[in-house]
Amino acid sequence: MAPLKSLEQEYPILDSNFQSFCASHDIFSVEDLLLHDLYVLAAFAEQESSSERLKQGIAQVLSIIDGQHQPWLNGIELLEDAQRNKHVLSTGCEGIDLLLHGGLRVGQLTELVGPSSSGKTQVCLLAASNVAKKHIGSVVYLDTGNSFSPQRVTQFICQHSDPAIDQAKHRTLQKVMNNISCKSVFDIFTMFDVLHQLEFNLRSQMQGGDCKVQLLIVDSVSSMVTPILGGSGSQGIHSWHALMISAGYLLKKLAHEHNIAVLVTNHTVGGDGGISKPALGESWKSIPHVRLLLSCDHGGSICNVSILKHPSMAVGKAARFMIHN
Amino acid sequence: MEVGRLPISASQRSKLIAAGYTTLSSFSSLSPSHLARDLKISDNEAAEIMRVASHSHRLDGSAGGCGTVNGAQTAWDMLHEEEMFPRITTSCEDLDNILGGGINCKEVTEIGGVPGIGKTQLGIQLAINVQIPVDYGGLGGKAIYIDTEGSFMVERALQIAEACIEDMSECGGLLRKDSQACQLKMHPNNILENIFYFRVCSYTEQIALINYLDKFISEHKDVKIVIVDSVTFHFRQDFDDMALRTRLLSGMALKLMKLAKDFSLAVVLLNQVTTKYIDGSFQLTLALGDSWSHSCTNRVILYWNGNERYAYIDKSPSLRSASAPYSVTSKGIRNSASNCKRIKMM
Repeated sequence: MAPLKSLEQEYPILDSNFQSFCASHDIFSVEDLLLHDLYVLAAFAEQESSSERLKQGIAQVLSIIDGQHQPWLNGIELLEDAQRNKHVLSTGCEGIDLLLHGGLRVGQLTELVGPSSSGKTQVCLLAASNVAKKHIGSVVYLDTGNSFSPQRVTQFICQHSDPAIDQAKHRTLQKVMNNISCKSVFDIFTMFDVLHQLEFNLRSQMQGGDCKVQLLIVDSVSSMVTPILGGSGSQGIHSWHALMISAGYLLKKLAHEHNIAVLVTNHTVGGDGGISKPALGESWKSIPHVRLLLSCDHGGSICNVSILKHPSMAVGKAARFMIHN
Repeated sequence: MEVGRLPISASQRSKLIAAGYTTLSSFSSLSPSHLARDLKISDNEAAEIMRVASHSHRLDGSAGGCGTVNGAQTAWDMLHEEEMFPRITTSCEDLDNILGGGINCKEVTEIGGVPGIGKTQLGIQLAINVQIPVDYGGLGGKAIYIDTEGSFMVERALQIAEACIEDMSECGGLLRKDSQACQLKMHPNNILENIFYFRVCSYTEQIALINYLDKFISEHKDVKIVIVDSVTFHFRQDFDDMALRTRLLSGMALKLMKLAKDFSLAVVLLNQVTTKYIDGSFQLTLALGDSWSHSCTNRVILYWNGNERYAYIDKSPSLRSASAPYSVTSKGIRNSASNCKRIKMM
């Protein structure tokens, strides 16, 4: 929050008298005020000449702070929200849907972890095609590796429809494909800009309609974090950490507030004893709600998926699935 | 904290936070000199910070479409755009078939194999094939060849260029093209002129060059392929700080991805192989490990099968896993001469 003097314009009660009173107690910004014991401060204000105005000033700052957080919700409201808004999106892949009891849950961040060529991008493309086709909603696909393949998406969409009238099929294909928007992002700062833009657009648009975003895919979040991971030079040791965590929080916030399912991919790195583990480290582990580990038989089309983390299902539960060609 | 996502230096960020400015709106209405006084930095620095912040702020406020992102394309548009860019042929029909026609523009393709399998040969062939004129089904573009090992042989390039011109004139004759329009004016020297060659001798040179490519390609808009031979050579030896190596490599990979996307060109990275112990057997994998393996869009592995050279698609968003034989002849990369020309589908 801003220093107190910049709030003066908007809230004239926080005038220079108030500011100098606060300054005498080492309070220069709203955050400093939060760190202070407010009763003690009020007691000090009593002793000043303009005690009423000072106490009103303190109350004003407190109300500004109050406006900053989300409203309180009770259990019933949460349940209603979950039942009404937070439904499940099928990924189009039976094995994964069975494992997740339906598919990707709206409001949650799902992570796909796997070594190279384990099928993460394929699952993302399949989920995008399925959501665009079956559900009334659009898909936003953020791609870091130029891996978004429109032909593959076309294959997935036309997979189950019968080879009927060509013209009608062409029109539906166009409608479905227009529901998927793809943007290439190549660094984490661009991703932040894109996500904030999306947040702004979602907040200012009308509810409902065909344009509602249902699924957000980031493929892959690890490619954006790895160039800054562990940097100790100009970025500072904690800077990359802060960026990664705030990216995670922003994705979760978008998911919850705007009823979107978020799907991200992550790769694996070698761990102790040669066993591979997900990249991005310990602090990233707690960010996704659901973590799935993918692996593919070498050269085969049968893939394994197992649960690494889930809010309501046992870890280690596994399934097999096949991505059709 | 909102200021955490601004691309400014860490010291500037910490000064902003220490002075109490944690959101963009808190200082966007100030004048640069006011901010400079508060943070105890120069006016220019403050103006720069405000410029970056207002840019971010402006992006937030710009009106979007139906909840979509500015600058995003729909999948439908992308599908039709792809048809506009022909693929770069490898001169080997079987190989082209498994690649869906050839090397794709706008993608980073990694080609790896043991020494002597023909990676550099394939690189030179692609540098020449990208110059095939549009009338003959090519791209008519130029090539950038970045050589890190010193394996580029000009005489060999000349030989392949001559063979390519011969093939094209044969092709032109067969199709009975109008002699006026398609008189082949190409001379091997023209082909060599259109290959921009850079020799790098250390990893810093390599990274500096890739940073510079952005400017170079904006000046030479007809470059359609960038070949790096080999991309990992300077990173394999004497790197003490592995974390630094990972950062540099992934940063480089992203820059190459961006180049491919922004300028609609193909990026081909040639890589060496190493052995890895997986599931009880030794398997060939590309050098530099797991984190590098995610830095390409497509991956092709070249290997020996008996006496034959084979290529195998290891990773691709839209191509099936398949392998095809090819051979290296005096004319360059060509179809394998053996009798069994079946493409093995895996």
